[in-house]
Parts: sequence; C-alpha cells; structure tokens
Amino acid sequence: MSEIPFKNPGWAGNVGEYDLTEEQVRGIDFVGVRPLEGGHAAGSATYPYMLEDKHPEAPLFEGPYEVRFQKILTRYPTKRAALLPALNLAQEIRGHISPQTMDRVGELLELSPAYVRGVATFYTMYNKRPVGRHLVQVCTNISCNLCGGQEVLDAFLEHTNTEVGETSADGTFTVIEAECLAGCGFPTCVQINSRYFENVTLEEVPKIVAHLRESGPATESLEGEE
Amino acid sequence: MGYPYSHPSEVPILSKHFGDPEARTLDGWRARGGYEALEKALNMSPEEVVDTVKESGLRGRGGAGFPTGLKWSFMPKTKDKPHYLLCNADESEPGTFKDRELMRWVPHQLIEGCLIGAYAMGAEHVYIYCRGEFFEATQVLAKAVEDAYEAGIIGEDILGSGKKIDLTVHAGAGAYICGEETGLMNSLEGDRGEPRVKPPFPAAVGAFGMPTTINNVETLCAIPHIVANGGEWYRQWGSEKSPGTKLFCVSGHVKRPGNYELPLGFPLKDLIFDVCGGMIEDRALKAVIPGGSSVPLLSAEEAEGCSLCYEGVVEAGSMLGCASVIVMDETTDIVRQVTRMASFYAHESCGQCTPCREGTAWVTTILKRIEDGRGTEDDLDTLVEVTDQMTGTTICVLSDSVAAPVQSSIKKFRDEYLALIRRGERVGAA
Ligand SMILES: Cc1cc2nc3c(=O)[nH]c(=O)nc-3n(C[C@H](O)[C@H](O)[C@H](O)COP(=O)(O)O)c2cc1C
Ligand code: SF4
Ligand code: FES
Repeated sequence: MSEIPFKNPGWAGNVGEYDLTEEQVRGIDFVGVRPLEGGHAAGSATYPYMLEDKHPEAPLFEGPYEVRFQKILTRYPTKRAALLPALNLAQEIRGHISPQTMDRVGELLELSPAYVRGVATFYTMYNKRPVGRHLVQVCTNISCNLCGGQEVLDAFLEHTNTEVGETSADGTFTVIEAECLAGCGFPTCVQINSRYFENVTLEEVPKIVAHLRESGPATESLEGEE
Repeated sequence: MGYPYSHPSEVPILSKHFGDPEARTLDGWRARGGYEALEKALNMSPEEVVDTVKESGLRGRGGAGFPTGLKWSFMPKTKDKPHYLLCNADESEPGTFKDRELMRWVPHQLIEGCLIGAYAMGAEHVYIYCRGEFFEATQVLAKAVEDAYEAGIIGEDILGSGKKIDLTVHAGAGAYICGEETGLMNSLEGDRGEPRVKPPFPAAVGAFGMPTTINNVETLCAIPHIVANGGEWYRQWGSEKSPGTKLFCVSGHVKRPGNYELPLGFPLKDLIFDVCGGMIEDRALKAVIPGGSSVPLLSAEEAEGCSLCYEGVVEAGSMLGCASVIVMDETTDIVRQVTRMASFYAHESCGQCTPCREGTAWVTTILKRIEDGRGTEDDLDTLVEVTDQMTGTTICVLSDSVAAPVQSSIKKFRDEYLALIRRGERVGAA
C-alpha cells in the first residue's frame, strides 16, 4: 500500500460528526439533571468504533477504511504500534475479532498470527466472539456496588432474559459485568455500546431496555422483513 | 466550579470551566485566556520552564505523587534521539473519575499542558493514551486536537516559534494494567500491556526504546496555570510538601458525589459533611478509602482528623493516591466490598509475576469462601500471610495494591469478618 501524506497526525481515526452539541454529548434520550433526579446519560453515539451496523464478513480496510488504516500507520514510528488501532478499526467494521480477522491484520502489519492472538486476547474490549447489537456493560466495582451496581446488573439480566455474557435469542443484547468505568460519582455507571449511561437506577432499567429494543438499524430491518 | 455540584470552599483552577460547553471550543478556550501560557513558555528557555514547575512543587496526580519538575529534569538534554511525552489518560483506578471530566470539558487545557511539557523536555511527539472505553472524551479531545493543528498550535511550527511538536490521541482497548507507566508503553507499542522491569527507567529507555516521560492528565492540566502565574503563585494553596489544588473525586454514600477542586490539606471531615452535603439519609460513617481502591481503608475515627494532603493521609494510616474518596456508611458490608475489590485485581493481574498471579486468585477464592459463610478464623491469618508475600516481590505494585484493602479491613473490621464466620451474621444486608 502506498504512503499517503497526512497533514494532521492528531487522531488516527475519523471521528465523524465533530460539532457536538451539549445534547449530543450528553445523550439525547436521557438528558436530565443529575445526579439525584437520575436518568442522565453521557456519551456520543457518533464515534464510529461501536456502530450498531456491523458485518462479520465485511472486507477489512477498503474504501474509507483503507484511508483510515493508512492514516494510522503514519502516526507511529513502528508498524507494530498500529496493531491496537487496527484491531479497533477491524472491530468497528466486523463487530468482533475472529481468528481470521487477527490473521489478516497480522499479515498487513507483518506480525505473526501467534503474536496478534497473544495481544488481542490480552484486552477485554476486543470481542472474541460475536456480541448482541447492544453490548451492555454494567459496572459492579466498589463505588457503583456501594450504591446498588450488582442489583442493576441483575435487573439488566432479568429484563433481557440472558445470563452474563450470553447473547439474547434475537441477537439484540449481550450483558456483561464491567470493571470501574471512571464514572464512580454517578452510580450505577453503565456503558451501552459507545455511550455511558450514568446514575442508572433499578427503576430505569426496563425503560432503557425497551428503548434499546426499539432503536437501531437492525430492528428497522427486522421490522421491514415482517 | 465543581461538577455537577460546586461549593464555596472550592478553588476552581483546572475545573473552572466544567459544565461550560463553550470552553471546549478553540475560540472559547482562547477567549478564556487559553494558549497564552504556551506563548509565554515558548519565549522562555526549556530549562526555565522546568525550573518554574520545580518551584511550584507540583506532584504527579496519577497516584504516586512524584514531583513533576524533578521527573522532567531526568530527561537527557542531548538531541541525538527522539524524545517522547506520554499522557496517561487510562484512568481506571476504581473510585477515580476526574481525568474523563478534564478531557471532555477542557480538552484544550490538556493539549496546552502537553505542548508546554513537550517543549520543556525536547519531546517531538506527544501521545495521549486514552482508555478505550472513553469514546466520548476521546472524540471531544480528537476534535480539539484537529482544531489546534488547523490553527497552527500543534504541528510544524507551533505558534510561529519554529518548534515542531506532534500530538496523537491513542485509544486503548480495556486493561487496567495499561495505566502502569511501563505497561502503557508496551501497549502503545502494540504489545500486551505488561509492565517492564525497572531499571532502565523511562527517561533513559521508554516508549519505542527512546527517552520518555509519562504524566497523568491532571498533572499536565495544571502546567499552563503554573507557567502563566509562576511557581510561587501555585504555592499559596496546600502545604509545604503538597502545594496547590487537587480534584477530589467523591463517590459512595454521600448526598452530593462528584469532583471538587480544593486546596490540598483540606479536612476529610469537611469534604464529606460540608462540601458533599453529608451522608445519604444522615446515616453514620463507617469507613473511607481516601485514594482509590489500592490504598488502605480508614475507619471513621481515623478519618475524623485526616487532612487531605500527601503527608496528612499517610499520617492517618493510608495514602492520598489519586484523591479518590470512597465513602461508606454503616450499612456497608465490608467483607462483600473487599471481596469485590480483590476480584477486580485478580481479573486485572497481567500474570507475569507468580506472587501476583497466584496471590490475587487465592485471596479472592478465600474471601469468596468467607462471604459464602464457609470461612474459618484461620482464613484471616492465611489472608494476611498471603498478602504479605505479595508485597514488594513483583514487577509492579498492582500486587501490593491487593494487600491494602484486605489487610486494613481485617485489622480494622475484624469483628465483621468474625461475625460472618462464626454466626453467619452479615452487616448491611438489606
Ligand atoms: C497498576 C497501576 C495502575 C495505574 N493506573 C494509572 C492510571 O490509570 N492513570 C494514571 O495517571 N496513573 C496510573 N498509574 C500510575 C502511573 O504508573 C504513573 O505513576 C503516573 O502516570 C505518572 O504520572 P504523574 O507523575 O503525573 O502522576 C498506575 C500505576 C499502577 C501501578
Ligand atoms: S505485579 Fe501483577 S500486574 Fe504487575 S507485572 Fe506482576 S503480574 Fe503483572
Ligand atoms: S466504580 Fe463504577 S464507574 Fe467506577
């Protein structure tokens, strides 16, 4: 692949819509006064890495993704350093990192399959298996747990009818337990795809689950088929 | 101002513009005096900048509290190799949530601090290593970086000075251990985030084998203010050994949790009962973890007279760490919470050192047994013994971090363990 010169070695990805309004940053559906009133969400859905529309078989790094991949390579003094950003990009495209994906990324970066596997399995954010359209990560670490994190996790499991780490039958949800998400002052902190939901209380869980069930491209296409 | 709440005791310097979306933009930041400190620094010699930081007495906000000016002076002055500055934005110590707020409210403040630091140490490239979960903060920061490049503040010729400094935002992929400085370097280089054996120290052999300095987000955010106003100015707050202001992240059973910027040395009691509005439902205080989950718990009595500066918290029997104050009331089941903390470390151990890999797993297993009501009194001695062997024997201090909550809770709340072991009694079970 040819070297493409780039003006700004700032961010290796394309972060999409830049001009975030307060509402977009805070989340549109759960904007609220926090924390006592609850119902507040922070996070931006425009960051592409956890888009809801993913294709496990999609080609890697073609078209705009080729440009982004090339951009990544210009950011570091060694090719190997591009491994994590490249895997991030691959997961954005395919939704999870399969052994085939690891091999392909390794080939592009001149790294052995064993090396890539060793690295990819070290990090928890790489989904080694497909996950649901909505990946729900509930923090149950100390600060959240003091304020009911475990109960919020249990409620998510109950309302999505799944066990920890299992994907719901319709492919909509995977609920997992997360370690501290750095939102400890706003318990319980829940990360859903790329967005943080803060101050999540037990009562809000059914609302959030219903909202997620209705939203997103996969549901639309499902409804179209019916 | 603090965020989401503020309090008259606060001295808002770093957090002055929290909650103000305008401050996020380049124009908004400039209108608030932004990038004037960078301009000033570029007219000083690099040594003068380092000296100003030394004078201020600023200590690293990432947990260890190492003097920042001194750390910067370790970087070699020769320019035969590239130098790097890394910003540690991997914030994942349970109880800590300040760096995310700094990045998403005042991204230009961090960029300005990074550029001044890079100039002072002759670093040609800055990497800001953000934890992977911070999609929103990373995006806000990335936008600010692009704008700063566009305006000639980062890049070939920063502010027309002829200096070239590049800056890249790098996203991690979820691993607590990448917050450890050499683990972060390995991760940045595209490897597993396993900490390295020191020496060699990063100032000699760091990222990509080159001289490297690593600083926390909050540390670098303080730099523009110190350069703009001078080292002496910064010393008007705090104590001789702990100058300046600090963001305190308060979580747990208080009425108004959040980030509050206060002078170091602020009384812990006032932080909880005045600034944070007291305990939820006015229940009694049971314990406080003053510096994130890796430091010993303080009992309510120890917390009573504790002054929140580096030396004050040590005197009270713990450590300031990153000033992540976790407050627990009388309903807290200490055994359950300590078990949760131990399982965190077992999950996050990178597995290189046997005492850590095996120790974190065994400690968690024993604690879970006690929690299930199948523990014995001997288990408490075993826990102390195992955690003793995990202290000071490993590559990094993650292993030592487990000893802190386990040993301090057994020492200070032995009754709770015994009640559970002997009679199956559980405190705080609703
Ligand atoms: C297990 C472990 C995790 C750490 N996590 C972080 C972190 O998330 N953020 C951080 O700034 N420092 C963290 N540190 C401290 C860093 O190693 C390092 O001391 C710090 O980034 C130096 O910056 P400072 O001098 O500005 O404090 C961690 C240390 C250890 C041992
Ligand atoms: S102490 Fe634990 S986390 Fe640190 S290097 Fe050793 S095994 Fe890894
Ligand atoms: S403990 Fe839940 S976000 Fe930190």
